[in-house]
Amino acid sequence: MNAKADDILTVESIEVVYDNVISALHDVSLTVPRGKIVALLGGNGAGKSTTLKAVSTMLQGERGKVTRGTITYDGVVVGDQKPSDMVRLGMVQVLEGRRCFGHLTVEENIIAGAYSRKLSKADIQTELARIYAYFKRLKDRRKSQAGYTSGGEQQMVAVARAMMAKPKMLLLDEPSMGLAPQLVAEIFNIVRELNQNEGVSILLAEQNTNVALRNADYGYIIETGNVMLHGAAESLLKDDKVMELYLGISKEGRKNFRDVLREESQSHAAIHHG
Amino acid sequence: MTEFLFFFEVVLAGMLAGTMYSLVALGFVLIYKASSTFNFAQGAMVFFAVLAFVGLMELGLPFGVAFVATALLMVAVGYCTERLVLEPLMNQSHDTMLMATIGLGFVLEGLAQAVWGVEVRRLDLGIGDFPIPWLVDNLGLFVSALDVTAGVVAAALIGTLALLFKYTKMGLGLRAVADDPGAAASIGIPLKNIMLAVWSAAGIVALVAGMLWGARAGVQFALVDLALKALPVLIIGGFSSIPGAIVGGLIIGVTEKTLEVYIGPYFGGGIEGWAPYVLAIFFLLYRPEGLFGEKIIRRV
Repeated sequence: MNAKADDILTVESIEVVYDNVISALHDVSLTVPRGKIVALLGGNGAGKSTTLKAVSTMLQGERGKVTRGTITYDGVVVGDQKPSDMVRLGMVQVLEGRRCFGHLTVEENIIAGAYSRKLSKADIQTELARIYAYFKRLKDRRKSQAGYTSGGEQQMVAVARAMMAKPKMLLLDEPSMGLAPQLVAEIFNIVRELNQNEGVSILLAEQNTNVALRNADYGYIIETGNVMLHGAAESLLKDDKVMELYLGISKEGRKNFRDVLREESQSHAAIHHG
Repeated sequence: MTEFLFFFEVVLAGMLAGTMYSLVALGFVLIYKASSTFNFAQGAMVFFAVLAFVGLMELGLPFGVAFVATALLMVAVGYCTERLVLEPLMNQSHDTMLMATIGLGFVLEGLAQAVWGVEVRRLDLGIGDFPIPWLVDNLGLFVSALDVTAGVVAAALIGTLALLFKYTKMGLGLRAVADDPGAAASIGIPLKNIMLAVWSAAGIVALVAGMLWGARAGVQFALVDLALKALPVLIIGGFSSIPGAIVGGLIIGVTEKTLEVYIGPYFGGGIEGWAPYVLAIFFLLYRPEGLFGEKIIRRV
């Protein structure tokens, strides 16, 4: 598999180990075509966050390491760069749990996102106006201390802050976490607008399979550190296994992917024997 | 009337002494904000800085040159600390960092004494430790010129730093790192540069504090312990708050002076030494985050 020029990100069978012993990813490969939204789906502990952090090099801060495979971002092999290097190359990660600077105001949070760029005071105002056009709600709250805004507003602050770095690629980790459905919809609408109007490519990790696939172009399902299934978002939405396991459209209880595959192979075997 | 004037004098002396505590406490706050670590080496930095300054003065350098050279030396100390101690320990627990600062303190103390010797030096800033005649004649107030100078210098330095944090890019970066280093890294704020800036600022604050203390009490090893007076200041004011360091310092200064004068005689004097710690214990019991300590903002 060779990295194509129209893919902004290529991850080729990476393995990630924490603290030299705990294996978090076994074999994950994925590509993000330029200008597209790709969803990374799976339950808790499946390895979604680890994959994003491997790509953004935030793993270093958690004593994790890519021990096998390669990551290529925009023609650059990702190795021992620092997160600040990746930001300068145009890749910004929005961490899980929003992680606003609670004691800073909403506007200070957003301005902090431009730290890596050399902007004059006037440039910053122009950029702020550009960002507020997407996040109208934040403009009204710009003088509030970020720690006291609602969960949805904090998620918007986190995305707005990342957009101030003028990224070519955004990594979003669980933007829907703990938010009411209408807020989730509002945030995903903004993400789609940013994707279409600013041309930013997006890799997003989500547990909310339904919302993620409805907004993404392509999806990968990972479980216990391996990619189990991938395909175009519409086809995944119609896939029986996905419907049963991740969209809860089934009368049976929740199982994991492996069980479904095992059941399938057993029924195949039964057919052959019969 | 003279009774009241005397009380006012005591409070004023306390406040002026308090600004010096504030200044030392500020050195701690800077580093605590950036790395959530209590820098036990701060006292040693005060001692190291002022000893280096006096050493350079003894070589015949003029005041201004010696000051700038020492300030640069403290920036270099900050750089080495970042490179040799903090960077290799990045992502380690706060306990590890705390132990490292204790070690750094011993290194700086030893280094200072190895280079400049152990005897007590005199530091003459050209300002006498005697009452300002004008105040005595016109208001009947006996306030030391050195105290007033120290208070003004400390206040100016603290004010400058507070403005830098509020209005510069570096200040914004520091406040962001103080809130969430991981999130700060994720948007490309270089933690190393912020650390370097903070340690340099703390080094320069240590130099000024050391000069003011040294002019009063002599440049000697006891400065290291004097700097630990900042601990009750921080408990009262809050470890992460600049206004807290200022107000905490003033409260400690005023409390210890008034207690010393009015209650001290019943204890046989010398309560200045321990009264601040008693006050700190009350704060720990009833308001552990301090007066201005940043409350942990938590939404449920």
